[in-house]
Amino acid sequence: MTRQVLVENEPLVPAAALIAGSAIPVSRAAQPPALRVADLTKTFRSGFARRRLRGVEGVSFSVGRGEVFALLGHNGAGKTTTIGCLLDLVRPDRGEITLLGCDHRDRRARARIGYLPERPYFFDYLTGRELLEFYCDLLDVPRRERRDRVDGALRRVGMMPDAGRRLGKYSKGMLQRLGLAQALLGEPELLILDEPMSGLDPMGRREVRTLLQELKNQGCTIVLSSHIVPDVEQLADAVGILREGRLVLNERLGALADACAYRVRAAGCLGEAARCGLPPWALSGGGDTAAAQGPADLAAADTQQLRELLDACHAAGLPVLAVEPRRTGLEDLFLRTHEHGTVVHGGKA
Amino acid sequence: MTRRHVTALARGTFRETVRDRVFYLVAVFGFLMLASTAVLSPLTVGAQAKIVTDVGLAAMVLLGLLVVVFVGSGMVRKEMEKGTITTILAKPVGRREYLLGKYLGLSLTMAAMLAVMGGMFLLLTLMSPGAFSLRFVAAFYLTFLELAVINAVVVFFSTCVSPVLAAIFTLGVFVVGHLSQSIRDFGRLQEGPLMQHLTTVVYYLTPNLEIFNVRGAVVHGDVIGTPHLVLATLYGACWAALLLLLSGAVFSRRELRG
Ligand SMILES: Nc1ncnc2c1ncn2[C@@H]1O[C@H](COP(=O)(O)OP(=O)(O)OP(=O)(O)O)[C@@H](O)[C@H]1O
Ligand SMILES: Nc1ncnc2c1ncn2[C@@H]1O[C@H](COP(=O)(O)OP(=O)(O)OP(=O)(O)O)[C@@H](O)[C@H]1O
Ligand SMILES: [Mg+2]
Ligand SMILES: [Mg+2]
Repeated sequence: MTRQVLVENEPLVPAAALIAGSAIPVSRAAQPPALRVADLTKTFRSGFARRRLRGVEGVSFSVGRGEVFALLGHNGAGKTTTIGCLLDLVRPDRGEITLLGCDHRDRRARARIGYLPERPYFFDYLTGRELLEFYCDLLDVPRRERRDRVDGALRRVGMMPDAGRRLGKYSKGMLQRLGLAQALLGEPELLILDEPMSGLDPMGRREVRTLLQELKNQGCTIVLSSHIVPDVEQLADAVGILREGRLVLNERLGALADACAYRVRAAGCLGEAARCGLPPWALSGGGDTAAAQGPADLAAADTQQLRELLDACHAAGLPVLAVEPRRTGLEDLFLRTHEHGTVVHGGKA
Repeated sequence: MTRRHVTALARGTFRETVRDRVFYLVAVFGFLMLASTAVLSPLTVGAQAKIVTDVGLAAMVLLGLLVVVFVGSGMVRKEMEKGTITTILAKPVGRREYLLGKYLGLSLTMAAMLAVMGGMFLLLTLMSPGAFSLRFVAAFYLTFLELAVINAVVVFFSTCVSPVLAAIFTLGVFVVGHLSQSIRDFGRLQEGPLMQHLTTVVYYLTPNLEIFNVRGAVVHGDVIGTPHLVLATLYGACWAALLLLLSGAVFSRRELRG
């Protein structure tokens, strides 16, 4: 199981205890993960005084082949530092990183990885096409294929019309798109993207989301950091939330969705519902309406309870007007993690 | 080391620097300087030829130095700070390959610049009666060697200090390198052993750039012998190789921003 409660001195409610039924398919679990990070720790030292600055501390997670893993966290949480360590740009004090079965310092592994930095910036005086051709050479793309590869990548990110212009004259979003093109150039098995959606216009964001979905369907593993929670919710299979350099939550999103609570609205008032012999946990209020009159809001904490409640309503002859999922949204979870430093699960709170 | 990687990096660097506006400014400046020397010097025919030769060759070294220092000191550093380097090193490219590629690219730019300036220079000497000589080509070659060494110096400094410091240190090495012979001779005349040792250390720690300076000989019409050219080539190559190895060692340990 990938589920971990990671911080010793900050007690978390063990997520496993809260969430039912989120087993990883056996076929995936059997394969070695595309990325494994163990106990990654990095402290920066800056200035003449060599003042210590926390980068990340004891971060461990792993990402299975074909999965999308998203790193979330406040500004300065350590997302970029973690990603920098993966690519051997930042040198950790401690920890082990395995990329596609190789040590992360192994150069051969990097031919199978695509990377988009947080601030894509290239040369000022090359054109977009020249830049991608340059990267093709660095990736040892056969010369015959070079043109097709470059065209393919440019088309995928919608930069074909501007490919002949100098990079120094590109706008932020154009650079971001070219950065993505550059990451896709080597037909990577593992994509590492630091804030891929930043700087993109709404169309661009949607295009990139679709593109990443496509790549995922083709079996590409994607690790991304992002501040755009809805995008992450749509794309990711698992999220890791960093807070002040520590991974405070590492959770599969499927599991989060399964754990959502429901609100059942039934005809008749709450008092009447109680008399009908509904289970007492359902009466604690599915929402803010504590009205004695009008439809009763009943609560079910998970799918099992929902089934029981609906059966009970049926048996009591209470017409059910509506069933609404009360999802513990990722955004909600994220905010909670940062307010309390612990995860309090919405469904049981 | 993969040849294709180094070639690609060198070509990329060459394109980038040749298209930089600084490069053209220097080229134009050089041309104006050479031309004004020829036009303005109100001297007798023979003396004018000597002045054109002397000033022209000196101008080539100085302009080359300016470009190497200003483009070179920012080159590696700027890529580190702006993050260009991260996408390159995230490809299967080694850090030593990267440095070598950058070095060769900038050297190529220098060669191109010297070729252009040399061409202008030869044209100019054709116009001054009695000035033209193919011996100049040997002087151009030695200038190229000198700039290639300076280029390695600037690459070395830009892996360890900020661009401004790298530029200052490199200019310092240029000055000391041209004086190093004199510094040692000065030391030998000193009484105290401290001064003698110090000047010897300085002599061995800086490349002796006077080896590449044949202006005096060329101006006076002396022949620059093949042995000197071979020796200078070996000397320059050793210094460049040594500096690049050092830079590689420093740079492999360096931390970059993700
Ligand atoms: N090269 C460095 N030198 C010193 N401190 C650094 C360096 N790089 C990062 N840090 C510090 O490490 C911490 C984590 O930074 P990091 O860039 O990883 O955050 P992040 O999660 O990517 O934030 P953002 O969402 O703003 O991109 C910050 O406090 C930052 O100031
Ligand atoms: N200095 C410049 N020289 C030439 N063209 C430029 C320059 N600056 C911007 N452009 C071009 O002008 C157009 C508008 O650029 P601008 O940077 O204003 O876009 P933007 O709306 O800010 O885009 P983004 O959302 O990507 O930041 C682009 O095609 C860009 O390439
Ligand atoms: Mg960041
Ligand atoms: Mg803009």
